[in-house]
Amino acid sequence: MPYSKKRNVLITGVTSTLGRQLARLLYYDKRVGYILGVSKDDRPFYFDDFSHSRFQYMQVDLTKPRQLNNLFYSNIFKDYNINSVIHMAFLNKPTDVGEKSHELNVVGTKMLIDKCLETKQIKKFIFKSSYVVYKVKAHNPVLLDEETELNFDKDAPQWLRDRVDAELICRTKMDNPDMGITVLRFSNIIGRNIHSRMNAYFNSKIAYTIAGFDPNVNLIHPRDALYAIQLVLHKDVKGVYNISGRDTAPLHVFLELNRVKRKAVLEPLIKTIYDFKKKIGSTEFDFESGRDNLKFPVLMDNQKAEKTFGYYPKHHVEFG
Amino acid sequence: MLKNKILEDYLKASLTEEEINLINGIDINDLGFDYDLFGMNKEWLIVAYGIVKLLYQRYFRVESNDVQNVPVKGRVILASNHSGAIPIDGSMILMDVLTNLKPPRLIRAIVDNFAYAMPYVGMFFSRVGQVVGHRKNFEVLLENDEGILVFPGGTRDIGRLFKDRYKPEKFNVGFIELSLIHKAPIVPVAVVGAEEQLPTIKRWEALGKLAGSPFFPVTPQFMFGGPLTNFLPFPSKYHIYYGEPLEYYKFFSEDTVENPEMVTTLAADVRSKVVELIERGLKERKGVFY
Repeated sequence: MPYSKKRNVLITGVTSTLGRQLARLLYYDKRVGYILGVSKDDRPFYFDDFSHSRFQYMQVDLTKPRQLNNLFYSNIFKDYNINSVIHMAFLNKPTDVGEKSHELNVVGTKMLIDKCLETKQIKKFIFKSSYVVYKVKAHNPVLLDEETELNFDKDAPQWLRDRVDAELICRTKMDNPDMGITVLRFSNIIGRNIHSRMNAYFNSKIAYTIAGFDPNVNLIHPRDALYAIQLVLHKDVKGVYNISGRDTAPLHVFLELNRVKRKAVLEPLIKTIYDFKKKIGSTEFDFESGRDNLKFPVLMDNQKAEKTFGYYPKHHVEFG
Repeated sequence: MLKNKILEDYLKASLTEEEINLINGIDINDLGFDYDLFGMNKEWLIVAYGIVKLLYQRYFRVESNDVQNVPVKGRVILASNHSGAIPIDGSMILMDVLTNLKPPRLIRAIVDNFAYAMPYVGMFFSRVGQVVGHRKNFEVLLENDEGILVFPGGTRDIGRLFKDRYKPEKFNVGFIELSLIHKAPIVPVAVVGAEEQLPTIKRWEALGKLAGSPFFPVTPQFMFGGPLTNFLPFPSKYHIYYGEPLEYYKFFSEDTVENPEMVTTLAADVRSKVVELIERGLKERKGVFY
């Protein structure tokens, strides 16, 4: 792989908060040649200040084979020699369930990765995964390494199963010699407008906790998450890596810091409360997919990322 | 911290300034929010100290022997017999090292996995520095030069029937492997007196499963009020003995862990040292309650 050459990057899901921030970060990164941002939304206004010589936006629905073909056979794709893909197009809200979510999160990932392999032009594929793929157990070790058992529970909520399936699709292609695939498992990314399970939880006025449980949680600042992606983009690494943030503390500490009132409720009752809140639209937090995370810690061991590409979290999460 | 502020205040008030300073002086590897990686917190330690102190000083009247055999710093594994139906012996050892070793040190005990699935129980153990019995946890602690307390006889040991008292089960080998890999000395520990606090006359497995534990130990106290009184321990007197540190890693390389026979032999050797200490304790004690 010619790593001395500039990286020309395709970012999927570029209109998500994180995607947009990543596009901006790479836009000012001199080691990056050209950025092609894609999303199924109309071109947003905030890309207007980006020069066409560095950035282009394309409206692409990754679940539509024809649109995907158009992307890969487009002039921009060929002329600018797009050689790296950062896949961030997911429906990330656990409330996004059903066929649409499955189509994008699993089928979309599969079609994209197959297309990348087919063109032979893509040398690097970065997949944004998360801590939710791990099987949460009371007797898990305090730090989970990349070899820890994944959640293959067939009774798990669809959104969770999809996340695991999408990651496995990437992992099955990892032996391909032409394209280096890197899976980054991020811990809870906490930041304004970022759709994640814990963000939804921390944004509630009242957070219901499970009585008798207060697990340690790890939060990562979006800047650290983007920094990890940037590091991987420029270094010759592939494989699966945990990416944790700088802040680790029991759940109640972060709720207090975010000035969220908390009420401890017995486990059998809390589901009813969250189901009701979801029905009336007062929360986006999906209790069923987050139940175990409110009981047991899921802290990931960063060591592999530290040793392999020098990732160290630097920023504290901002609340309020 | 505790829901019951009066209880919390009482427990804190029951401690002397010296005791509070002792706990505040412990280095807990704070991650920035007054908690360590395992969820330990000094405020909770102070409260737990208040509770355990009453049991340690007044109820079980613990007598400590040769605690100076525990290194004051650096990684170390304390390997003890386990008895008494409920793991009070663990907290007594921790309290003993904390209060009698000069300078004091906090040893982290390994708690049975099922305890962490129980509401409040698992959280309490985490807050007072106890950890889930997982190899990776031991490695993190030892690499951090902390001391850990293990019960190599496991749940089988604490569930032993009274008729088999003071006959520790065969030791598991995991702690020997950790000692060799991480070059940590092993201090054999014997607790005499815990066997008599709750003499197990029957292991009721069906009831245990309902409560999420491997078995329910039926004790003579069950006759007075069923499960309500089953776990009220008799005030037997505890005697804790510490043996000389065993530094197998100086004589056996890391590769020895690949040799199951040798590792089993070393585990049996530690067990024999614990048994020797138990025999000494039984010989020296004047009675079960004094």
